Amino acid sequence: MATQPSDYTEFPPEIILKPLALIGLSGLDAVNNAIHKEIWDAFSNNRRADRTPVRFKLLNNTFEFPVVKPKRNSYEWYIPKGVLKKNWIHKRVSLIPAVVVIFYDMDWNDPQWNEKIIECASKVQSIRAAVEGHATRVAVVVIQSRLSPPPSEYMLGAERAQALCAACEIQSKSLFVLPHSDHLMGYIVRLENAFYDIAQNYYHHESKNIKQHRDHLNKTTHQYLFVRHQFKLGYLNELKQDLSTAHKHYMHAYNNLLETRIVDTNTHEVRTVAGYINYKLCKLLFALNLPRDAIAQLKSHIERYKNRIGSTELLFEHYAWIARQYSAFGELFDEAIRAGLPAIQSQHPGFYYQHAAQFTVKRRQAMRSVCAEAMAYPPPPDPLEGIVEFYGQRPWRPGRLSADPHDPQKEQAAVLALQYNERIFNHSAMIISFLGSAISQFKTFHSPRMRKQLVVEMANEYFYSADYGKALTLLTHMLWDYRREKWWFLASHVLNRALQCAYLSGKIQDYLQLSVEALSKHMQVPNNDKDRIYRNIMSVLNLNIPAAEPDLPAASQHKALELWQSAIEKEPLIIPVDMANISSFLEVKPKFKQPRYRMDEIIELELYVRLLYATVLEVRNAFIAISSQTETIEIPVIDEGNSIILLQGEKVKKFVCQFKPNPHDSGSDLRIKSVSFVLDNDRKRKIVLNFKIEGSKVTDSTIHPELLHFIRSPKADYEFDSIVPLTVASITSRDSKLSLLVTNSSPALQGEWFPSIFTITNNEDSQVYDIKITLSLLSSPDNPNPDSVTELSMKEGEPQTQPLYLQVSSLSKSSSHANTFFLKTNRTATATVQIKVSYYIDLPEITKLECTKDFCTKITVIKPFEVSTNFVAMNFNPITKCFVDDPFIVMPQIKILSPWDLLIVDTELEVIECFKTSDSIKPLSCITNLEVAEKNVASDAVCIQAKYKPKDNPTRVGLYNITWRRKSNTSHCVMSSTALSALPIDDCPVAIEVKYPQVVELLTSVPLKCTLFGKCSTPIRLTLTVEGTDAYMFSGYKKISVTIPPKGKVELCYNIHPLVAGNTTPPRLKASIIGDTASQELVSEMFDKIFPQNIFVMPKYNK
Amino acid sequence: MAVCVAVIGKDNSPLYIGGIGNDTSTDNELSRQWLVHTALDALEERLASTNTNNTGANTNAARTDLRDLYLGLLYSTDTHKIYGYVTNTRIKLVLVTSSTSPSGSNIRDAEVRTALRRLHALYADAICNPFHLPGDQITSLKFDKQVKNIMLNNV
Repeated sequence: MATQPSDYTEFPPEIILKPLALIGLSGLDAVNNAIHKEIWDAFSNNRRADRTPVRFKLLNNTFEFPVVKPKRNSYEWYIPKGVLKKNWIHKRVSLIPAVVVIFYDMDWNDPQWNEKIIECASKVQSIRAAVEGHATRVAVVVIQSRLSPPPSEYMLGAERAQALCAACEIQSKSLFVLPHSDHLMGYIVRLENAFYDIAQNYYHHESKNIKQHRDHLNKTTHQYLFVRHQFKLGYLNELKQDLSTAHKHYMHAYNNLLETRIVDTNTHEVRTVAGYINYKLCKLLFALNLPRDAIAQLKSHIERYKNRIGSTELLFEHYAWIARQYSAFGELFDEAIRAGLPAIQSQHPGFYYQHAAQFTVKRRQAMRSVCAEAMAYPPPPDPLEGIVEFYGQRPWRPGRLSADPHDPQKEQAAVLALQYNERIFNHSAMIISFLGSAISQFKTFHSPRMRKQLVVEMANEYFYSADYGKALTLLTHMLWDYRREKWWFLASHVLNRALQCAYLSGKIQDYLQLSVEALSKHMQVPNNDKDRIYRNIMSVLNLNIPAAEPDLPAASQHKALELWQSAIEKEPLIIPVDMANISSFLEVKPKFKQPRYRMDEIIELELYVRLLYATVLEVRNAFIAISSQTETIEIPVIDEGNSIILLQGEKVKKFVCQFKPNPHDSGSDLRIKSVSFVLDNDRKRKIVLNFKIEGSKVTDSTIHPELLHFIRSPKADYEFDSIVPLTVASITSRDSKLSLLVTNSSPALQGEWFPSIFTITNNEDSQVYDIKITLSLLSSPDNPNPDSVTELSMKEGEPQTQPLYLQVSSLSKSSSHANTFFLKTNRTATATVQIKVSYYIDLPEITKLECTKDFCTKITVIKPFEVSTNFVAMNFNPITKCFVDDPFIVMPQIKILSPWDLLIVDTELEVIECFKTSDSIKPLSCITNLEVAEKNVASDAVCIQAKYKPKDNPTRVGLYNITWRRKSNTSHCVMSSTALSALPIDDCPVAIEVKYPQVVELLTSVPLKCTLFGKCSTPIRLTLTVEGTDAYMFSGYKKISVTIPPKGKVELCYNIHPLVAGNTTPPRLKASIIGDTASQELVSEMFDKIFPQNIFVMPKYNK
Repeated sequence: MAVCVAVIGKDNSPLYIGGIGNDTSTDNELSRQWLVHTALDALEERLASTNTNNTGANTNAARTDLRDLYLGLLYSTDTHKIYGYVTNTRIKLVLVTSSTSPSGSNIRDAEVRTALRRLHALYADAICNPFHLPGDQITSLKFDKQVKNIMLNNV
């Protein structure tokens, strides 16, 4: 993160940089050659984490490799001048490549092959010469433009490649071919991996070299070299991406460093290097996914170096160093979290940033105690100038190891220079930056309160650096939270600091708001001097400059005074203070006397005010804002006729306000929006104390209303604590004194236009006018959606759109208005009719007041009658089915249910398609003009026959229409239709007609003629037998086979002779069909039905 | 044993904060209050996690049965260790020990548990006072004395 503040403790970039194997690319002309540029871009661009961990460097012809130091054969006389050389890492990461790759354009079948191979070899030679002394590996890449060599040239390629290797003196595995084709990226990735392998090999070789030195070292003089070599091994392994080995070597380096003798002169160097090694260790531990070990490493690191303070004159350097250890660790931790490491509330980077901030605070304290005398930078020569070769060494004594300062004067000047630099260093900015990082971490890890504390600390830091505006903004936000959680002690602390900031920045609005809150009983102020704050408020009101807050930094006081002088008489002159959200010295409880007011009542409002601060407060003007649907009005609060209100400290005062409701607000709610008190001393400035009343926050959630009675507030205080505010009151319309009478002859009958007379009588004390009457149907659970089946009308027989509107211009006192409405419904349920009357009335207090009144009347609807059907054969025997062309009788039966007498005017049967009436002329109904009463049954009879057999049996025979009316009503008839139930139809192949007399005389022969008709298109053969009985003798064929031709007929004649008198069964014909057995049953049934069951035989009278 | 004891209401407002320190200056009181106040973060986190663990049928019963009122060590700073305890009515009890004093640093978990249980009992006694309004700060001198006793008892 680049957001960390910089100072001399900052880690050099090469320490922070992630080590990557360095690979030099030579022979690529990325500027002029398009193909080369493409290759270079493919190598260098988009180096994401998933690609090989290498870094490419384009080497031009002028690139020079660092000079190789002569090899040392013995360390015996060598004394190291420091621990870590500053330029070593730089050399590894940007100057000495592990591999140099030479790119060369050449096709295997190049015509100038011989020249090319020589040129390439010379290039390789020149690079070899340049890297002389380094073990840098050399590789060659041949860029070929051809896609792939043809098979015939395959051998040639192999041969020439071998020749090239020989010419360049490289191994064949160091020669690569890069065909420049579509799959460039794929080739590049493979080349990268190959280079990486070579690089790893190189670093392995290098680390082996360093390990060899070890045998030459001894612990007494070469302690630094132990550290240096282990560090180098660690770094080389990091370049090799062997992280665990790297960690092992860094750990050795760290432990070797611990063993060095520490004196004042090398403290700074040792701890600087220790810090770098520790940083590397922690970084590797995070990379190896061992966060716990990383945290433990940091802890032990800090623990070990905590007491290695060094020279007390430079104590601040020690704290600066610790702060940097923490902040760097915080950054590492944060990076690890972003890479996917989970963190928890109790262990996250925020704590380390917080420590960094804390130690920076300590650093400042140390600075204050030791740098007091460093008033000026020492005169030249500048002791801090100079180049040092080793990390953490002092420029004024580079490379010196002896413990005693060799030049005390120079030493002193240098200390002074450091102290002076520290003195002018902006500690606050650094602390704020650390706190900022910590705050965002604590926010992420669910620690809102910790975050708040840090924000307050940050605000304090802004206060110290005289940025009062920013401090004030932070503090006012935090004050809100502490107030809400009722941590009054903390809130007081924040408030007092905020008040100081507001004073110093001359912000009148904030100053007053904070001052008002400071007077609250919950707040503690310095020296408990609330009177001072009260006097300050009054000063501002009188356009005077308030007295300064205690404990202000002296440097800012003068500027504050200037700010106040310029601001005190200027805008804003009217200062609103939001009292609802702060804890204040004034408490209000407004209350409607009733939860509901009628339109013609005066609304009364009670306001209780308690002043908690012991003073007399003169309120120039107070009002209550009340909002309704239409408007917001301000009701002035008046104290015994006086608009100036005097509030006594520690007392409760009660005010009563009265006002009339607005006629438009009928049916809506009134809400108390706010209560405002205006403080004014006739000096232009006004302070408006606004109490916003929110409906949801009526009662304090912590105090239970039922427990309020236990608060022992003095009786004289109207028991302020137990008053439950009532901030909403509904306005209802005035009670109407109209009455309504509905007369009708209920119940209504289904389908009729049912008349009802309604009479409205004015019982008001005066005339009413502009009367509007609305009639509508109400739905009820047993009668939903009544308007779909029910009609309303003012005229009989004419449906009108609902609701019905009527207007009556005026109705004088005690008079009445009557009207009739009609209702027709097809549903037998209770219909509810609402009659809504709205009108205007002039009352003594309010003119043109709109009143409404609703009336409901319920009308029960019943069926006038019920229709059931019987089917009988021509002989009036009940039947369950009919045959085609076989007439039968439908007998509808009308059972009267109506309690009123009815007149059946006419009836009619409308048959469906497959039936027809048997008579050619439509017969008149048998029950026309029939008067019926309740429980009577009227029977009708109609003879019909089936025309054909339909595909599906019909569901009904037809519609039976009854035209009827009430006997009392002469004008209007109602037609009701009922569906008559169905009768199955069958088709029989033969039809039979039997002619016989109904009554015969004993011992008298009568003919019985039977005609058989063929109904189908094929001849039908029947075997007929006569079933004789004892009661008759008969003549004719007893058994006969007949053939009925299609559409033809066969006649059979018999004579029967009755032998006994009374009801007798005549001989009957039975038929069995020959051939078609399927219709046998039907035929038998038909014969059964047609032949008479009995004939009455009259006895013969002897004359 | 303890350097500070706090009783915090269910709406997270402080009902009682008592501490024994070398001085009663504002700075000391302030740091004490910061410490207790920030401990609420850890407390709330702890409560939230126990609640989600116990969701299911008859949560309420399960929660009160299963949850140990004593929450253990909430967190520790370089100088202090903070322990938490939550009653069934969500009254939070916080106990702070000093890691710098010998008695505070070697304290055993069981001791803290016992102390907080006793504090719970004392709290219950204190709010049994019919003149105490639930949600108000506890001003009882007797309570204060007894709590101070708990704190000093094991020093």
